[in-house]
Amino acid sequence: MKLRIGIHGLTSCYGCQLRMASVRELLEVAENFEIAYWYMVSSKGEISHVDIAFVEGSVSTAKDEEELKKIRENADVLVAVGSCAIYGGVQGMLFGKEYEEIFKEVYGDNKIEFEGRIGEPLKKYVKVDYNLPGCPPEEEEIIYYLATFAIGSYPEEKDYPVCTECRRKGYPCVLIEKNEPCLGPLTVAGCDARCPGYNVACIGCRGPLPHGIAWFDSLAKTFKEKGMSKEYIKARMEIFGKQYEKMDEMIEKVFEDED
Amino acid sequence: MHNVYALYKCRVLRIYDLTDDVKLFLFRFENPSIAESWTFVPGQFVQLSIPGVGEVPISICSSPMKRGFFELCIKKAGRVTSKIFDLKPGDSVGVRGPYGNGFPVKDFEENDLLLIAAGIGMAPLRSVFMYALDNRWKFGNITVINSARYGKRLLFQKELEAMRDVAEAENIRIIQTVTRDPDWPGRIGRAQEHIKYANTRPDKSYVCVCGPPQIYNDVFNKLIEHGYDPKKIYVTLERRMKCGVGKCGHCIAGSSTFLKYICIDGPVFGYYDIISTPGLI
Amino acid sequence: MRYVKIKDEKVYEFLEGLKNYGKLYAPVKISDKFYDRKEIDDVKKIAFDYIRTIMPAKKFFIPPKEEMFEIDIENGEYKEKLEEVEPFVLFGMHPCEIVALRILDGIYMDEYADIYYTRRRKAGIIIGLSCLPDEYCFCNLRRTDFVDIGFDLFFHELPDGYLIRVGSPNGHKIIDENLDLFAEVNQQDIDAFREFEEKRQRMFRCYGSFDNIRYLLELTMQDKLWDEESEKCFGCGNCTNTCPTCRCYDVQDIPNIDGKTGKRIRFWDSCQFRSHGLVAGGHNFRPTKKDRFLNRYICKNSYFYPLGTSYCVGCGNCTYFCPANIDFLGNLLKVRSTAEEVKNA
Repeated sequence: MKLRIGIHGLTSCYGCQLRMASVRELLEVAENFEIAYWYMVSSKGEISHVDIAFVEGSVSTAKDEEELKKIRENADVLVAVGSCAIYGGVQGMLFGKEYEEIFKEVYGDNKIEFEGRIGEPLKKYVKVDYNLPGCPPEEEEIIYYLATFAIGSYPEEKDYPVCTECRRKGYPCVLIEKNEPCLGPLTVAGCDARCPGYNVACIGCRGPLPHGIAWFDSLAKTFKEKGMSKEYIKARMEIFGKQYEKMDEMIEKVFEDED
Repeated sequence: MHNVYALYKCRVLRIYDLTDDVKLFLFRFENPSIAESWTFVPGQFVQLSIPGVGEVPISICSSPMKRGFFELCIKKAGRVTSKIFDLKPGDSVGVRGPYGNGFPVKDFEENDLLLIAAGIGMAPLRSVFMYALDNRWKFGNITVINSARYGKRLLFQKELEAMRDVAEAENIRIIQTVTRDPDWPGRIGRAQEHIKYANTRPDKSYVCVCGPPQIYNDVFNKLIEHGYDPKKIYVTLERRMKCGVGKCGHCIAGSSTFLKYICIDGPVFGYYDIISTPGLI
Repeated sequence: MRYVKIKDEKVYEFLEGLKNYGKLYAPVKISDKFYDRKEIDDVKKIAFDYIRTIMPAKKFFIPPKEEMFEIDIENGEYKEKLEEVEPFVLFGMHPCEIVALRILDGIYMDEYADIYYTRRRKAGIIIGLSCLPDEYCFCNLRRTDFVDIGFDLFFHELPDGYLIRVGSPNGHKIIDENLDLFAEVNQQDIDAFREFEEKRQRMFRCYGSFDNIRYLLELTMQDKLWDEESEKCFGCGNCTNTCPTCRCYDVQDIPNIDGKTGKRIRFWDSCQFRSHGLVAGGHNFRPTKKDRFLNRYICKNSYFYPLGTSYCVGCGNCTYFCPANIDFLGNLLKVRSTAEEVKNA
């Protein structure tokens, strides 16, 4: 029997869904799964019971929260797709600040119809069963996740950093060689170190490693030794890692003596 | 050249519920020549594959005396074992092995045998026990101490209970004890607290222990207190082998003066190896 | 042992000729600081003065990722997947890496020989090249600074060419088939060889023996040194990935989208990763970063008894390629010595 899946987007760029919609094996996906809901692709359908719900985006409005809860109630398994869903993403990087202040900075005295919030990850609102990381996720991983579900199993999530894929690929290390602020050491692998492969330092778009093994403190210390300022380090690490537990604390610890 | 990672197809014949999260699977080899030649030593393990899902190491819990068949006692603990639980009689799986050193059962002969299990640790020890029963005349007195937190978690509880009557006549003592179950009608307390009730003679006994890592020190201390010979105490260890043949490194354990591959140097180790090597348990 | 000499002006011709024996791989510069072994088109691009490559030679025998089986999920079958292995030549192997390969041989070609490794190993010709150490090298302490086995040919630098040691029947064959490229070794060459070796021996960062380091390490595992050093670590796995003897791999079944077929792959793993020490039910034998950090020191410093050498061959890769600047040798020196200057170094 085909699995029923739903693909949903909360506040986000819809890039993850676009990636899912553009996988080479899309026809096979359509053949092997019953797609019960995918608003980006078809406005038909409504949230109904599915075996697996894939949810992209962060919770940034009351409507997001409401929709997410409805999705969860109707799904046996919920997969958080992409950095926004897993860590709040770029729209969550100012977490901790006052929403009104930020709003004013961007929109001045203009008004919007709904009440916004700073983007938060799904796990703050509902139980998330699996994370499919990426910004957007890689085609290979999308297929792997779907295929494991199709055979009645579930995916093995990566818990190792981009560095290891960088070494497996044989790329030069931009952190060692060019003293670039590469976030590869604390970013979850899966991209085959695409950016370092082009001599560009990893910006951490796939999000920090799970299970508390993203060592922001050790990396910040090394960056500091390379002459980078606390503000610069924080700003860079916060883009995708702001809502990682204890990230602030870990960076503060490194600069404790100076403050 | 033979591929050591190649799998033999095995068919699931019977599945028994042992506890709420442990099942016993009876397998047989599909290939007749493998079925005839395949054998193992109690304490060895196999690598079991569910096609498309993955592979896990599982210790064999039956006696090697029955050719072509073997039993695995499997606890639902992860991705692969969850899928194993979906198996039905008639389904096929991939198996390779047996791997590991196993217990030195030849050395055990003409001695008494004390088997001490906690939780899932009964699985490999059942293989030793069944082997000893199949070769009853080669061994002296035998005691099995089977322990768990709750009565319903005791592996092979019914099987062991059922043989209690004939067991006493055969100089076999079955002790089943639980630590946290107020409703359990039988013995209470940890395994080591029941060593004193064993029928084995400390100076003539080999001891096999298997359980979670944290039980070993207490069991060892009690055994030595009762006069059992440390040289004759063996334990079997658990790791998550990916290859089973000393390559993948997942089971490397020990310290810089005693670094071992649990899959080929173990999983059975002697008492002195265990106490002198940090990192084994 | 058989010795011949090749003069500088014949070297490129010889290297070009090596392509007749298989695909030629040699070290080339891949960026400002780093080298790697690549397939050689233009032999003039070979870096003779390289010290270390970012990918150790193990990549030719244990690829970072490889498919082991094709899976027929429906019928429950695994079909062996053996890719075609073509002959190849590795030119420019330093002694430490040759010892490293022998360690891998001992593990991968034991009684449970790994077919994937063995086929590649048998297809590879190994040509050594002498080297001068930098401050990261400590092969002298590991007694892996000079090899007399494990290569087909070994090139030792001379002022006007190379003194070549012939180490295998394949090596003899290559020499015999290209005899006009070689000259006999004369007294001047022998003196130059001796001079090179003497110079080399004077260049190491430190001296003495590491034979007892595994005992000292075991006795100092409680030191606060390990808390401090592991605190710096990113857990990124660069040390193990660039180590010529680290060989841990992980295995995964990857189903295809049809749910009927799939593949079993294996890929480089690292003891620095959290999941390496996990067992069923969630127990982790190395739950903390410190446990994992120390594990590498333990493993590398223990002995591979068939060769009578430690798993660490003293190449210095783990330090050179550590983005956190953790000094493996420095830490071992702290373990070895009670001298204050070392402790404070």
